[in-house]
Amino acid sequence: MGRDRATLLQGTLDLLILKALAAGELHGLGVSRRIEQITHGTFVVQPGSLFPALHRLEEAGWLTSTWEASENNRRAKYYLLTKAGRKQLGEETAQWNRIAVAIARALEA
Amino acid sequence: MAGLPRLRSLWRNLAHRDRVDRDLDDEVRGMFDLLVEEKRRSGLTPEQARRAAALEMGQVDVTKARVRDARAGAFVDGVQQDARYGARVLRRNPIFAITAALSLAIGIGATTTIFTVANGLLLRAAPGVAEPNRLVDIVPTMKGHFGLIFTTYGIYLDVRERITTLQDVYAYELEPKPVSLRAPRAASRDGAEGAERVFSGSVTLNYFEALGVPAAAGRVFGAADGEQPGAASLVVLSHDYWVRRFNSDPSVVGRPLQINGQPFVVAGVAREGFRGMSVAAPEVWIPVAADAAQLMTGGRLKPGVSRAQAAAELNAIGRGLARENPNRFGELEWGVAFSSPLPAVVRGVAVAFIGLLMALVAMVLVIACANVAGVLLARATARRREIAVRVTLGAGRARLVRQLLTETALLFVIGGIAGVALARGMTSLLLAALPAFPVPVNLFLPLDGRVLAFAGGLSLVAAVLSGMTPALHASRADVISALKDESQGPSDRLRLRNAFVVAQVAFSILLVVAAGLLGRALGRVTTLEQGFDAQGVDVAAIDLSMAGYTDDTGRVFAREFVERLRRLPGIESATLADRVPGGPLQMEATLRRRGDPSAAGSTESLPAEPPPVPWSANLVEPGYFKTLRIPLVAGRDFNAGDRRGTQPVAIVDESTARRLWPGQEAVGRFLPSVPGRVSAQDPAPRVVVGVARDVAQSGGATKTPALVIYAPLQQVYGPRLTVLARTRQGQRMAREIRALVTAMNPNLPILAAHTLEERQTGPVVVQLRVAALVSGTVGLVGLLLASIGIYGVTAYAIGQRTREIGIRMTLGAQRAEVGWLVLRQGMSLVGIGAAIGLLLASAAGRVLARLLFGLPPLDPVTFGGATLLFAAVGLAACYVPIRRATRISPMEALRYE
Repeated sequence: MGRDRATLLQGTLDLLILKALAAGELHGLGVSRRIEQITHGTFVVQPGSLFPALHRLEEAGWLTSTWEASENNRRAKYYLLTKAGRKQLGEETAQWNRIAVAIARALEA
Repeated sequence: MAGLPRLRSLWRNLAHRDRVDRDLDDEVRGMFDLLVEEKRRSGLTPEQARRAAALEMGQVDVTKARVRDARAGAFVDGVQQDARYGARVLRRNPIFAITAALSLAIGIGATTTIFTVANGLLLRAAPGVAEPNRLVDIVPTMKGHFGLIFTTYGIYLDVRERITTLQDVYAYELEPKPVSLRAPRAASRDGAEGAERVFSGSVTLNYFEALGVPAAAGRVFGAADGEQPGAASLVVLSHDYWVRRFNSDPSVVGRPLQINGQPFVVAGVAREGFRGMSVAAPEVWIPVAADAAQLMTGGRLKPGVSRAQAAAELNAIGRGLARENPNRFGELEWGVAFSSPLPAVVRGVAVAFIGLLMALVAMVLVIACANVAGVLLARATARRREIAVRVTLGAGRARLVRQLLTETALLFVIGGIAGVALARGMTSLLLAALPAFPVPVNLFLPLDGRVLAFAGGLSLVAAVLSGMTPALHASRADVISALKDESQGPSDRLRLRNAFVVAQVAFSILLVVAAGLLGRALGRVTTLEQGFDAQGVDVAAIDLSMAGYTDDTGRVFAREFVERLRRLPGIESATLADRVPGGPLQMEATLRRRGDPSAAGSTESLPAEPPPVPWSANLVEPGYFKTLRIPLVAGRDFNAGDRRGTQPVAIVDESTARRLWPGQEAVGRFLPSVPGRVSAQDPAPRVVVGVARDVAQSGGATKTPALVIYAPLQQVYGPRLTVLARTRQGQRMAREIRALVTAMNPNLPILAAHTLEERQTGPVVVQLRVAALVSGTVGLVGLLLASIGIYGVTAYAIGQRTREIGIRMTLGAQRAEVGWLVLRQGMSLVGIGAAIGLLLASAAGRVLARLLFGLPPLDPVTFGGATLLFAAVGLAACYVPIRRATRISPMEALRYE
């Protein structure tokens, strides 16, 4: 765990998971690796945060899941964005952009 | 937005917990395997790969727990966890759990039982009707008048024609009348010839249609039978009667019957389960007569109409009718009440009585709750260490309170369920304790949704009330001192426990005193000081008017009947009377003096308007006093010479003689004129020929005892008579009496047959019996609970003071002194509780005194007895703790810490 990591802002984890799944279905480890990749290693999500978030998003109806064979030929749970999840991703992205712009302006001022 | 998927997952999480958990296990393990794979690929040895993967996975159990917390229904999960933990704690202390649950079951069960009765009698319409919630009783009231006000058939029609907010206005006679019913030989089950007594209810022709009661066979009355009351001589049988008498034979429809000698035709049988609208259940229904004057009216609210609207319209109608006809509608006010088996006009008394019972049983629940609260407090003290450890480990206070409350709630759920089961049993026990009523009774006491909701709500409230204080106390645990295991708990906790025990003692002594007072009153009414000998006397009721006897023929029949009865073998003496001693006393009227020829000039010396005195007359055949063994203290009994046309005579009882002619000889005096049937038939002033010993008057609630006079039946006739026959060996002669009646007139039914001892079932006695039974039972239970409480608190205090006692003994205290110390501790609680309880009881006694037949509210026997009883119970409860305290070994006690 030695690597230096930015702590996840409250609420950003959900957004990152949705974004990670926007390209297609992934299992838990896949989501984790994909977030690491798209944030260029800034964010590494621990299983202790990842699983609760995945289950919460699934129960909210933004993700669905299926059990499929993984690359090592074992059963793995794959997550997939639902229509509602895609919409949610759009909304959260817009919201995030507004906040980011506002914060950036505030810091420049 | 995402409501549906959430609901679905809530259901899945709760219903398929195992699968959901297995899936989570698989998912986490799957990720671990993938991680290992990944590490292997990056060139690590299998061993290194596993270690690296495990490191990255972190604490798997924590992860799983966090997933569970994130899931829908996590709260439910937590509660379940609490419940599981609570159940484990309770299982580990079975004695505590059983005692607490049992006392709660008794408290909740008793309260629920009384509520079941109230529900059946007051809160729900009689069974068997359609849409009971819209049925209402129409209640006329008059200012300053507290008795029943009935409507007449005329008023019923007036109201029914005008009212627009009610539909289906119907009326019925409140009290079913005993009638003589003769069925032709083929129609009756056993082919028995002879009249049978049945109870008949008179109802308007729309009665069944208005209530939505269909026929089980044939048809019920309908509008087609004509609006003219009494025009159709039809009879509808109740289902019970049809089954009992006609063996459910459908061919009985259309058959002719005779009721009081009049021809009727069976129209049909009412639906099973319908027994009329009131507690008194008719066996047959006939159309009401046009001159009916004792009607109860009711109707059905039209949809969307409130009771207040209907009442307002009724009052408007009433005012209009009063303008047209001031005599009939004078000062009546109209109300509308929901329909229940106890009609609204008589509900007040029942509400008061059931309220009294409810107050009694609620006290048991309070005692039970205090008991449980006390024990919980003690356990909270014992668990201080455990709780302190949990606080240290980060348990929030709210979570701790929830955990402790869940444990309590578990107790109350068990107690509540057992209580409802107990209520079932107690309801049937209560019904069994009721004496046989002269009229068939329509009592339907179901455990319906309302009763269950009551029991559930009650358990919840009781759980919160008795669990909250201990839980708050426990969760406020002072972590440091608790972990250091200081033996001295906070003293306010002990004070609180003491308060609970004092409350328990106070309430249970109140219950015991109430039970004692009611029991004494009951004893007084039923056995003591009656003034006559009820043993070995057979009673049968007849109504000569049912067989068509008139004033003239009735007297002849009565005399002949008594003479033939006396000749039966086994009969020691027999007579006829129109009142049974000890039965309900009916006030005839009030008494005014008139000129007394035997004391000329006394009229003027009397005040112009003497205070009215209630009085009661009994019409008897000769032999009444001998049959009941009431001694005559002066003069003679009536004899064959006292008949119509001879000098009117009377016998008075001793206190009447004393009050009318104080200090003087009563025999030979003329009785003052009394309004009512006696004087109405008197051609001349009535002379007193004898004085009889007093007989206890039931309904002794009245302040002034009634003046009692006896008059010969041959001189003052009444058709409703009671046969009194004293048998030689105390054997039952009911069959012989019945045979004699049937032989003399087959149309004359025996209305009721029992022994005089069984007769004592007036409403007052019934109420007292039920009240004494309930309060006696709950008093005993309360006593038991209180003694457990005393024992618990004393034993606990000894535990707390072990060290102190050890030191005292080391310093030379004798065992007796230590025992005295413990005794004082326990008995001071009993003393304080008893003092408070006795104060409350003396206040309650004043309320009960209205019921108590001349028993003083501070009856020394009851109050003294209760005090002694509690002293004994207190001592017994202290015995074990005292023994334990005096056996304390000083060495051990000092090593205790």
